[in-house]
Amino acid sequence: MIILEQNNRIIVELLEQKFANAKEGGKHDNVNVTFADFDGVLYKLSNPDGDRNKIILSISLKFYAELQQHGADDLLRRVYGANFRQNPENGFNVTLEYDLNNLPADTSDLVTKASALKRNCFASVFEKYFEFQEAGQEGHKRAVINYREDETMYIEAKADRVTVIFSTVFKDADDVIIGKVFLQEFREGRKASQTAPAVLYSLGEPPLELKDLPGARVGENVGYITFVLFPRHTNKKTRDNTIDLIHSFRDYLHYHIKCSKVYLHTRMRAKTTDFLKVLNRAKPEVKGEKKTFSGRTFQTQ
Amino acid sequence: MSAHQLPACVIDNGTGYTKLGFAGNMEPQFIIPSAIAVKDKVTSANSQALRWNNRGTGAGIDDLDFFIGDEALSPAAANYTVKYPIRHGIVEDWDLMERYWEQCIFKYLRAEPEDHFFLLTEPPLNTPENREYTAEIMFESFNVPGLYIAVQAVLALTASWQSRAANERSLTGLVIDSGDGVTHCIPVADGYVIGSCIKHIPIAGRDITYFIQNLLREREHAIPAEQSYEVAKTIKERYCYVCPDVMKEFVKYDTDAEKWLKTYDGINNITKKPFSVDIGYERFLGPEIFFHPEFCNPDFTTPISDTVDNLIQQCPIDVRRGLYENIVLSGGSTMFKDFARKLQRDVKRLSDARLQSSEALSGGRLKPKPIDVQVISHKMQRYAVWFGGSMLASTAEFYQVSHTKAEYMEKGPSICRYNPVFGALT
Repeated sequence: MIILEQNNRIIVELLEQKFANAKEGGKHDNVNVTFADFDGVLYKLSNPDGDRNKIILSISLKFYAELQQHGADDLLRRVYGANFRQNPENGFNVTLEYDLNNLPADTSDLVTKASALKRNCFASVFEKYFEFQEAGQEGHKRAVINYREDETMYIEAKADRVTVIFSTVFKDADDVIIGKVFLQEFREGRKASQTAPAVLYSLGEPPLELKDLPGARVGENVGYITFVLFPRHTNKKTRDNTIDLIHSFRDYLHYHIKCSKVYLHTRMRAKTTDFLKVLNRAKPEVKGEKKTFSGRTFQTQ
Repeated sequence: MSAHQLPACVIDNGTGYTKLGFAGNMEPQFIIPSAIAVKDKVTSANSQALRWNNRGTGAGIDDLDFFIGDEALSPAAANYTVKYPIRHGIVEDWDLMERYWEQCIFKYLRAEPEDHFFLLTEPPLNTPENREYTAEIMFESFNVPGLYIAVQAVLALTASWQSRAANERSLTGLVIDSGDGVTHCIPVADGYVIGSCIKHIPIAGRDITYFIQNLLREREHAIPAEQSYEVAKTIKERYCYVCPDVMKEFVKYDTDAEKWLKTYDGINNITKKPFSVDIGYERFLGPEIFFHPEFCNPDFTTPISDTVDNLIQQCPIDVRRGLYENIVLSGGSTMFKDFARKLQRDVKRLSDARLQSSEALSGGRLKPKPIDVQVISHKMQRYAVWFGGSMLASTAEFYQVSHTKAEYMEKGPSICRYNPVFGALT
């Protein structure tokens, strides 16, 4: 698994099972499951007010208010249509509702859409700025999304490009180094594939684009990753794929840092067993007298 | 981001299946085989792993090329070798286990491990070194903020609390854990496993299925041979129950067959033709092999109730009453209807007989206090261990007793050798 999956498996499994059960005419069980996703997202799948004929899927994002400024509600309404509930469940930002007694014949589309709920919440802000770029509008304020407590995403549109900047915090000193090596590979990747977006990486201090921004974090373990997206990435055809990949970039990066560490551990273990073998071979044999059961003795050499 | 706001991840790695999910839920979100399919090249600790991958060939991403769980057993992984990193409940191959966890977290749970506390399980008698390895992987590779390693038997005990009154929640009890492969009887006193008294019974779910399969094979010819195991398994899960007396049960079936005989309708996987199977005595004979093992295994003839009683008698004298009072069932093969009732009756009979004989020996001068035998059966039995973990990991106390990353960095992996018992009424 090189690229993280986009959809949430728990949603897929739960909804598929509930929908299949409903279609077979089984009794609707009550459901109440709380689970998480990357970036501190919390989901809850439950029955509204104990009504077993309906299930609702709610999502809570800490930064939803920021996304709302960029039209998240409209996009979700467009994607989910009738399933989008006007007033979300208490404590959550978005709620989707499904009526188990009134399901379409093919529910696979519903499930796929529902499992991409987090991605769609994110999508609005990207789409908005992609539009700006397409229309050639400049001078819009850059979008600032604090997608984690100490990590921020900035999006800015120019006539010929959209710049997406992530700030990320590494909890571990090793991560800083592994992350750096990993991101250097992105520069290499651009050599291999001409169509890849330009990736810039700066450690410690924000890139020049953010120089005027007072809120940008500075510190040894803060990294800034800048993506420059060109029209070929932001046009209508490729847009969805771009959003898919870029919105989960932070998780992708941290996933690979962890995978690298796992790989290093594997090699360390292999090396240790190898060294142990050498050591065991080098063990000097103890010389001395040995006795057989019958009492005869002989020298070992 | 504060780890306390997001639910903890609970992962119960068993020999056959891994149960994983988020704390606070009633059921695990995933139950996947503990299997990992790897390319032959990258088996652990071989000479290949010692050499750097030369650039150009595969570009060094072989370590990401593997499948876990159901996907490992699916045709998609046909060119891979399937391995089970856990044997007899204990992790054997740490390389594979580390990668298994990697996908558990990122692909299945989709949790950023830096944001969640983790509760993992271990079998009784796991070595402290293994706990250290686990801690190293969790803290170093995954940067988890906190980790707690719980003993499976203790979690099974806590899972039984939800069916009991609040003042009866004790961490002393006998756990009978019966899965697919083997049945363990594990005595626990105040949250600590009495390791010297653990007993294994070589009868579990799979043996019942084989037994039923055999009974059906002699009688029902409609079942396609390649499906007979699955049919037997389904029959076991749907129709089997425990009867109080085998002889009476036979009579019942013979006099009123209509009421007791069931039919199972299946579809042949290949020809798609339906077939039907009559189900008779196997409904109660299947689970009966727990109580009469000689039905299917001539080498092992001790009924489960005798094993339980002997085991408790071997335990320190001051916990015996506590163990009799709290016999807790866990695992899918203890789900048969009335299993608890029959076990309770049989154990009660044995202990009563012992009390009577000691009374007789003393010439009637000694009147022992009767022993209260209770077998606890509850709704969460099937995933009792996971459920117990989910329950404990959603309490505030869990965050206090977990080992934190800061502690780990300060003192090293040895802190995870000891995981304090918690959750009991103090």
